[in-house]
Amino acid sequence: MLLRLISWPYFRRHVLRTLLTTAGIVLGVAVFVGMHTANQTVLYAFNSTVDRIAGKTELQVTAAETGFDEEILETLQGAEPVRVAVPVIEAVVSTARAGQGNLLILGTDLTGDRSLRDYDLDEGDEAIIDDPLVFLAQPDSIIVTREFADRNGLEANSPLTLGTALGPRTFTVRGIMRSSGLTSAFAGNLAIMDVYAAQKMFGRGRTFDRIDLGIKPGTALAAAQADLRQLLGPGFQIEPPSSRGQQFEAMTAAYSMMVSISSLFALFIGMFIIYNSFAIAVTQRRSEIGILRALGATRRQIRGLFLLESAVTGLVGSIVGVLFGLAIARGIASSIGQLISDVYGVAQRTDEVATTPWLLGLALVIGVVTSIVAALIPARQAASVDPVHALQKGKYQLLSERESRTRLIAAIVLAIGAAVCLLAPTIRPVFYLGFGMAMVAALLLGPLLSLGLSRALRPMLKWLRPVEGALAADSLIQAPRRTSASVAALMLSLALVTAFAGMARASYDSIIDWMDGALNPDLFVTPSQDIVIRTLRFPDGMGEELAQVPGIALVQKVRNARISFRGGPVMLVATDIESIAKTSPRPAVEGDPRQMYEQTAAGTGLMISDNLARLHGIHAGDRLELQAPHGVISAPVVGVVVDFTDQQGTVLIDRDLYRRYWRDDTVNIFRVYLTQDADVPTVRQLILDRFAQDRQIFVFTNRELKGYILRVTDQWFGLTSIQMAVAVLVAILGIVNSLTVSITDRRRELGVLKAVGALRGQIRRTIWMEAIGVGVLGLVLGFGLGAINLYYILEMVERDIAGLRLNYVFPLTVTLALVPTMLASAFVAAIWPAEAAVRGSLVEALEYE
Amino acid sequence: MIGEVTTMRDSRRAQHWRGILALSFVVLSGAPAMRAAEDARQIVAEAQRRSEAASQRYEGWLQVFDAKGRVSDKRWILVRLGSHGSSKMVLRFTEPPEVKGVALLVINHPDRASDQWMWTPAIERDRRIALQDRSTRFFGTDFSFEDLEERDVDQYDYTRLGEEPLDGDLCWKIQSVPKRTKSSQYTKSIVWLRKNNYTFARIDNFVKDEVVRRATYSDVAEIQGIWTARRVEMADLRRGSRTRLTLDKLQYSLPMKEEDFTLQAIRRP
Repeated sequence: MLLRLISWPYFRRHVLRTLLTTAGIVLGVAVFVGMHTANQTVLYAFNSTVDRIAGKTELQVTAAETGFDEEILETLQGAEPVRVAVPVIEAVVSTARAGQGNLLILGTDLTGDRSLRDYDLDEGDEAIIDDPLVFLAQPDSIIVTREFADRNGLEANSPLTLGTALGPRTFTVRGIMRSSGLTSAFAGNLAIMDVYAAQKMFGRGRTFDRIDLGIKPGTALAAAQADLRQLLGPGFQIEPPSSRGQQFEAMTAAYSMMVSISSLFALFIGMFIIYNSFAIAVTQRRSEIGILRALGATRRQIRGLFLLESAVTGLVGSIVGVLFGLAIARGIASSIGQLISDVYGVAQRTDEVATTPWLLGLALVIGVVTSIVAALIPARQAASVDPVHALQKGKYQLLSERESRTRLIAAIVLAIGAAVCLLAPTIRPVFYLGFGMAMVAALLLGPLLSLGLSRALRPMLKWLRPVEGALAADSLIQAPRRTSASVAALMLSLALVTAFAGMARASYDSIIDWMDGALNPDLFVTPSQDIVIRTLRFPDGMGEELAQVPGIALVQKVRNARISFRGGPVMLVATDIESIAKTSPRPAVEGDPRQMYEQTAAGTGLMISDNLARLHGIHAGDRLELQAPHGVISAPVVGVVVDFTDQQGTVLIDRDLYRRYWRDDTVNIFRVYLTQDADVPTVRQLILDRFAQDRQIFVFTNRELKGYILRVTDQWFGLTSIQMAVAVLVAILGIVNSLTVSITDRRRELGVLKAVGALRGQIRRTIWMEAIGVGVLGLVLGFGLGAINLYYILEMVERDIAGLRLNYVFPLTVTLALVPTMLASAFVAAIWPAEAAVRGSLVEALEYE
Repeated sequence: MIGEVTTMRDSRRAQHWRGILALSFVVLSGAPAMRAAEDARQIVAEAQRRSEAASQRYEGWLQVFDAKGRVSDKRWILVRLGSHGSSKMVLRFTEPPEVKGVALLVINHPDRASDQWMWTPAIERDRRIALQDRSTRFFGTDFSFEDLEERDVDQYDYTRLGEEPLDGDLCWKIQSVPKRTKSSQYTKSIVWLRKNNYTFARIDNFVKDEVVRRATYSDVAEIQGIWTARRVEMADLRRGSRTRLTLDKLQYSLPMKEEDFTLQAIRRP
């Protein structure tokens, strides 16, 4: 009842402010929903592809990403729990068709595979398609999906040219699968071919990527897993297909965490807008509250009324935010999908937005709770309004001595707490508790600092414009609550931007340092245009042929692949360690720089990246076990080096050791050093002339490869910049909101000014200067908090996200660029409120109250 | 079922190409009657006993007639050394061009499942083949892999249902039901075995009470003393399609060398 009689008319009278207040929640929730839905969409697309391709597969045997000897198939086919064992090779190849992107090739043995996957064919000569013999006999045979065929105008027996390890090859479409679960995998860009033909086409030698298993009826999955683990040894993972999704999640955990952090920041910033709006509403409506109290309304009822208003605001904002978030999720998902493909080399395609009711429900709850929490203090203050003092105006915006003291004490206690937490930085909860305490301390100090800074700003503003400057500064000083909420929103958003910008700067610096040392060959020869895609590989012998090309002084072979280490994915880099020690030794974080290379080259030790060391708490001297298909490598860590190859960490071993334990001599990348007198473009052309006829080959110059890595880094930070932009937008909304409130609140004061002869220009400039004042306060406090936030974010990156030790460098360039941006934004935000103040009726203004 | 006509070997784990070997034994199923075996099991065992030969060669013609009336052909040359469980066999496709040169090597063992390899000339590699789902179709034909496997006479229980004329020949009508230890897609089979030459005339395979596949054996002739059905037709009654295997230029007991039945040998064109 009170909501309808009291609140609704108030909202109707202040439509703009209500919209601005709600917009804070809308944006916060939209960012939360948009980013998480996009993240889920990408994960769903990956899982969906895995599920659909898996068909009735109950268990999958893999050796992480490395693949394994095809002999394992026979072992599994003879194993007691196995009903059917089907070898699989997956490869992502270029279709070379405009707008069609990559095609996921599933190489399988159709003879047994029909009992795991249903190739429901609707076109082609069934007698041929249905006959695996033709399929096996003709290595150019391929089955595509109806979706892909329609998109590309393909029919039975159409030629289809695809990029393979042997260069572009023309395949023959021998079947088209009807639309079904399988065909929607990888957004329909899926094709089936014979696994043995795939081995040849994609340079896999005699290996398979995995073996899909059907288990005999009546055999428990766990029992079958245990039996097969016993049979194959620890170098193999025997898991249900769904576990690949978990690996994917583990791989992209760093990104998900960044998404969560910035989403929460956006909501936090939104919270201050709501706080501000409600704080002002309490001020404006205190006479109303006083009347209600005089009529017998209890404090509890008043508090309940404001909390209910905030809940409704939160709910409406959340609903709109959810819808808005879903609308932007597809675009974000596409960017994230591309990013994950480029950064992690994991192919997936997002074609439909996937979300879950719990996420949307959570978003609504977070929106409402944020709103309620933001309104708690104003509601408590509303409840404490004394009917006698309700007729007094203006004083309410002041901070009482007692409150200031309490805030200061609480802030000091929390700051000390945060500092104490830093003394035990290795304990994760303590670290995050410290982070939280530091942020809360900063927020508690915000109003006091705002007040202090406003006072400090007054002479300067007055010097600029004696009348307007003094009025603007006084407005900031006299209403610290109103000012501080806007300043807090701005401070938080700038703290977020500063921290992310600092992290980006530090990452760039570190990556560039690492690239200069580690990636110093003149040329890099790869079988795929996307360096991170490792499904195409070169044969070992090509290295020797490459070394014969005139102008080449040295060739180093690199085989890298993700392996399973302590239940998660890490990157294994197998290369010519002795040669690397001479050409591009990595800086040692731990271990003797000379001995570590000698021992690793001899196969008696391993080197690891410092991020792996940090993420797993490993130190030089610790013994690691790497489980390979042909045994377990148990060797001490002889060196910890700086390496940015992978976010989950890198293990460096000698190529001989890899060949012995994985029985794989293929190569991902050749690192090529030229003779002193050689010309890079000439040698590059010689390499292409020599090999391009026989295989797909790409030759990158040093500059191109580094450019590629920096582009991917840009992509990574590009996505976070969207969130930062939203954070800044929310903060600007806060300024608009604050000024709108300020104008309304000061209508009488402004009216008096006009009545005593103030010019319109003076009124305008007063409002503008007040806005710029808020901007200056936000900038100063935001950069201050940003400096603290950057420290914590870098610590989080090191501890929990990527294990990377990044140097603390305050992002001066970005912050300097933010100064005019934010001041201009504050000014723009003030234009409308200033005009409203100027054009308002003098009579109405004087009658206000 | 074709296995029943031919070798009745122990075959607990059937393999793809063993069936093709079984197809070759079709020709061995018609030895002249020496004594009338009244007992159903004895009748089937006698049919197996008469199918032995030191070697065999024939040119096979496989025609698949789908439900829409389209026909696809395959031709091969089959050579076999030895008989029943210790035999070795090489089958090399000659037509159509898509499969020409593809060769299959099957090494049978008396006490375990056969070893099988396939040579694919287009990618120059051999691969080992294992049967993983016996109820699926045999490379696009209407035979399932199970239809083509050799069976042990002891894996079935037999019941003599009487005598019945079929296509002018008087036949024993015998029901065979897989024993509990034998996994089969079929619930039971009813076979018609010609009384005059111990060759099979027809086999109806049932799933529950429905006939799902029907094999018909015709063009029976005595070749080098062995009665042989030179045409086998399998109809898939649910799909409405049928597959006909015709045996041409069939010869028994030719001189053959062990070294022609190796992986190295099938890699030769």
